[in-house]
Amino acid sequence: MPQSVQFRDLSTVIDELHGLFERWERGEASLLPLDDFNLQVMKFAVHEWVANLVQHADFGAHLPLIQVAIQPNGERVHCMIEDNSRGFDFNHQLVKQQQAVEAVLPPDRGRGLLIMIACTEDLRYYQPVAVTQAGGQRHRLEFSISAHRKPWLDIPF
Amino acid sequence: MSITIQNASADTAVVCIGKALDFRNAKDFKEACQSRIQDGIRNFVLDFSGTGILDSTGLGAIFSLYRQLTPLGGQVVFAAVSRPVQVVVQLTRTYKVFRQYPTVTAAHEQILSRSTTNGSRAGAA
Repeated sequence: MPQSVQFRDLSTVIDELHGLFERWERGEASLLPLDDFNLQVMKFAVHEWVANLVQHADFGAHLPLIQVAIQPNGERVHCMIEDNSRGFDFNHQLVKQQQAVEAVLPPDRGRGLLIMIACTEDLRYYQPVAVTQAGGQRHRLEFSISAHRKPWLDIPF
Repeated sequence: MSITIQNASADTAVVCIGKALDFRNAKDFKEACQSRIQDGIRNFVLDFSGTGILDSTGLGAIFSLYRQLTPLGGQVVFAAVSRPVQVVVQLTRTYKVFRQYPTVTAAHEQILSRSTTNGSRAGAA
């Protein structure tokens, strides 16, 4: 069953998002074929990206829009997160995070992208994917979670 | 999303994490722990019984606390770990660093017994 939800308020999006996952965890909506572990991994990955948007995205004069779409596809569940911010230089941020964790004294923060890449499959960031009628842009992050993969990370904290 | 801390003994505090430890309250967590460290607390039991969210920022704050306490002979342990937190712990292999206990009481007892053992050794030496 595809699930697509829009969020407009950056101050409540995290709680609303987790409320949605709690419904799935309670079995009110199916995210087959994910088991409980991988459902938690999906939640963790979605949280990391939306947290990144809340903290760092520049939405300019636009009313923020974050759209999360999750769809089972065979043995995987595909996730797409679109937003109308000005986007990120994803590769630049990724290189910064990789360099930071390899430092002698790694910082406490700045591992979100590395964690997301490690615990998902086919993670890609597209910018911009569409121009809206109001002239705003849409950026999109996509990734999948496999039902039979038990990911683990080796990222130093 | 308030974090509450209670002293369990002279050098040990129990931190009730509550619903979440993430980018929204990681700074509060660090400041609250910092204040207790200045008061002489060296061991922290993190009670995750009601926690639905632990993200990379929250985990970073815990590691920061760990790095500060280890040279002081202190420790950070996890208690009553909820399922969402357990998955993050497994995913990040954090279980290699932080011991886990089924309850806050069990965690505190272990810390007390460790303190007693270390105290006895110090006395014998």
